Amino acid sequence: MESKAHNRRDFIRRSVRVSLGLTVGGVGALALKNGTTDEWVWQIDPFECNQCGRCATECVRNISAVKCVHAYDLCGYCDLCGGYLKPGAPRIDTGAEHQLCPTAAIKRKYIEEPFFEYVIEEDLCIGCAKCVKGCTSFGNGSLHLQIRHDLCRNCNQCAIARVCPSKAIIRVPNTEPYLIKGSFTKSDKT
Amino acid sequence: MKKTFIYVFLSLVVIIILVLVVKDFSSNRPGRMSGNPYKLDVDEIMAVDPELISYRETRNYDIDADKLGGIALSGENICIGADDYLQMIDPEGKQIMKIKLPHSPECLTVSEQGNILVGFRNGLALYSPEGEEIWKTDTMGERAVFTAVRMTSSVIYVADAGQRAVHRYGPDGSYIDSFEGKTQIEGNYGFIVPSPYFDLAIAPDGELWVANPGKHSIENYTGEGKLRAYWENMNPTIDGFSGCCNPAHIDIMTDGSFVTSEKGVVRIKIHKPSGELATVVAAPDKFLVDGEAPDVAVHEDGTVYALDYDRKTIRIFEPK
Ligand code: SF4
Ligand code: SF4
Ligand code: SF4
Repeated sequence: MESKAHNRRDFIRRSVRVSLGLTVGGVGALALKNGTTDEWVWQIDPFECNQCGRCATECVRNISAVKCVHAYDLCGYCDLCGGYLKPGAPRIDTGAEHQLCPTAAIKRKYIEEPFFEYVIEEDLCIGCAKCVKGCTSFGNGSLHLQIRHDLCRNCNQCAIARVCPSKAIIRVPNTEPYLIKGSFTKSDKT
Repeated sequence: MKKTFIYVFLSLVVIIILVLVVKDFSSNRPGRMSGNPYKLDVDEIMAVDPELISYRETRNYDIDADKLGGIALSGENICIGADDYLQMIDPEGKQIMKIKLPHSPECLTVSEQGNILVGFRNGLALYSPEGEEIWKTDTMGERAVFTAVRMTSSVIYVADAGQRAVHRYGPDGSYIDSFEGKTQIEGNYGFIVPSPYFDLAIAPDGELWVANPGKHSIENYTGEGKLRAYWENMNPTIDGFSGCCNPAHIDIMTDGSFVTSEKGVVRIKIHKPSGELATVVAAPDKFLVDGEAPDVAVHEDGTVYALDYDRKTIRIFEPK
């Protein structure tokens, strides 16, 4: 009886080991597969994003893989930039207290009167979409969010996609991994 | 005894795991999350005191087209550009004229005689009220983006957002000259047009007024293109113009007041000739969020006709 009990325990232990081994091996193989042969990657459709701010807080990366990008060909190079200044900020006062970006990631460069260029410092950008909201509401909508594939882990299920209220995060082929406004238009989406 | 203990222990573990999983899933559902720490709140700007709104929408007519291109009034009838067609619609919404155009129309206006002047991307054509072509111009070149046309008996004014200029043409379609609104005044850089919204209108006294969107101003020019007067109000509050470039469209009432339409926070208002806010025609909640600014045309009785590009509709607002 004693030896039978032993046998059963051994059998259970062996089975647990085997299934654990299989699981770990399977996950590893999947991870390897994801890291090497992914044909699809996650990306944000800028025309669907409603700038809810979750891209900054929900990405599994500490400092989100989502960054603001600037479609310069759509930009008006405005002095009063809706993505750079808080609504109602004085036109001439670009002090930090008037800037929208919580991390001062947008740099304003003088071009010629009265035009200014706005450049995103990606290292500082946390993907919060505040500037995108400002640019969309008050400007030309040239600022928008994109998942940077040099930073993204291409999770099986993107943690942001799971909570995105506008279902803006979609799978795109890795041959065309970005949906940059200007070259990507609303009519491309059909 | 031992078995019971194992069953109870395993059941507890399963319950704890289930609770954790359910909690994780439910707390992360969209709409159930804690507030967005980065929210840019534009609700305050979108909100309009109902006391300020003295118009109501009384009718609207859907347009079966993919692309709309400008609205103008011809007496009681409404002219619009839609796809590659010029259409005239009677006050009941019945289409009474439709002609094919050589290009997609961007803007239009109606002369005192009822002829319809259509602006294309970089050219003009004049049509009789029956839709026969009277003349058409050569193209202005690739950089031109015509966004507004107006005419008096002696001159045609064309707003060109691409070249940031107002062109003058004779009544026969012959090009005269252009001006860029530049002056010697410090801080005046002429027309600043960050996006393809650049409108002009002629007041009942024949004066030319041009919306300078990058300056949030409405400017009066002499026939030769010299700046004579202007008013501006760069302010996201209801009495000003918000965003990078507004007003996007204007028209002028018989008393010289301005009907203005804005993009971004889309709204239609009336400003007194001095620039002071007179009333609100349509608040942002009447339009799609981040939609296009509707083109506007005002009837002499004060009725405002708005061409809603997002809903593909002519919307008619009458004083309450
Ligand atoms: S979660 Fe979705 S809607 Fe929110 S900012 Fe990211 S992409 Fe835009
Ligand atoms: S406002 Fe947010 S999304 Fe825009 S640049 Fe700054 S950190 Fe990036
Ligand atoms: S796939 Fe993963 S790493 Fe990439 S954006 Fe989504 S959550 Fe972040």
